[in-house]
Amino acid sequence: MQTIGEIMTKELVTVKPEDSVARVAELMERTRIGGLPVVEGGRLVGIISSRDIRRCHPNRLIADAMTKEVVTVPPTCSLWEAKELLERHGIERLVVVDGDCPVGVVTKSLLYAELGKHIDALTGLQQAAFLQRKALELLQDGKEIAIIFLDLDDFGAVDKELGHVVGDEILCRVAKILGGVVEEGFDYLFRYAGDEFAVVTVKPLEEARKLALRMVNAISEEEWPLGIKVAASAGVAGGRRASPREGDLEPYTVSDLINMASLASTRAKKERRQVVVAGEIELREANCIQQCPETV
Amino acid sequence: MSSKTRSLLGSEPLRKAEMTIRLSEFEIPPMQDALLVGKQAPIGPEAVRSMVDALSPEQYEIIRIEHQVFEAAVLKRSLLKLLPKDKLLPILLEECERVADEHAVVKAQVNIVIQVNRAVDL
Repeated sequence: MQTIGEIMTKELVTVKPEDSVARVAELMERTRIGGLPVVEGGRLVGIISSRDIRRCHPNRLIADAMTKEVVTVPPTCSLWEAKELLERHGIERLVVVDGDCPVGVVTKSLLYAELGKHIDALTGLQQAAFLQRKALELLQDGKEIAIIFLDLDDFGAVDKELGHVVGDEILCRVAKILGGVVEEGFDYLFRYAGDEFAVVTVKPLEEARKLALRMVNAISEEEWPLGIKVAASAGVAGGRRASPREGDLEPYTVSDLINMASLASTRAKKERRQVVVAGEIELREANCIQQCPETV
Repeated sequence: MSSKTRSLLGSEPLRKAEMTIRLSEFEIPPMQDALLVGKQAPIGPEAVRSMVDALSPEQYEIIRIEHQVFEAAVLKRSLLKLLPKDKLLPILLEECERVADEHAVVKAQVNIVIQVNRAVDL
């Protein structure tokens, strides 16, 4: 998983607490940077933003104008954790620190641009990497989760017989249909890869099965152009955080859960069933994040 | 051109400098018993701290306050021996906010007289 350390700006422009507001205002204007870490003896002691500057008398010291409570992250922080922090605090930048020492800065625009690479350009849905992150986040909040893996049936034939442009149009429409079926705040829809979609939901396994059925039905009941028949099969697998017990040898991970749902969808396709439920497993919180497909 | 005009144009202007010197003793510290720092004042609490630490180390206490006009108060420690700050500060704030806004730094001279009446058995 990509970390803040990989994308942060390492060439830091910093100021000192004893600098004047007027001098720092001029520095911000010249460098076109809207927020600068305040550093004393190599330690981060505050942050000064253009907003702080505007509110202060130019004669003041930076020590009297800066924000002392700085929201910081370590270089190992994930992009999604950083995004949540920015949004929760309503700020424009995060200072990246190694202990007390600032080592970089990440701005909202830089972070969003990087996260945008994980948005599927065709459907506008989040990609698979975010599915893992979201599942882990829900588990950490103490919620039980279920993964629905939905695969369009014989979609390769559509691409071959009608062309990729038509195929892409169908994928966009499927994304819209599924978006209309899922419930905001409970279900999170992703484009996993190719003609595969996935949902992580906080609904119980049986509710997740019903949701998967509604998704499959919504696709098959849609009136598709050119008389195309589009159908899908879905697999469902449920997971909850493992209770701490001794003797657990091989804890399952979110990746295992996704894999179970994926295999269940393959089984559904083979057995010509709409939905197959793989079952429920206990997930270990640690090492939940595994390698996942980066591209669709 | 007349000879008079020519002489006026040709003459150099006289320039003189006058100097007035006023001498007085620099107060150390340049503040009295209390200082209240407005939220938009040209100096803030940290600047005041640097000044006080340099000019009168350990004689003043800097208190950050939540107030609509002032953000910090600097109080002479010897005053706080006579009157605790939770008694002194509200009175100071109440009086100073009548005469100052958040752009001001107000200095105050505070005289405290303690009256004690005691009776002893004869």
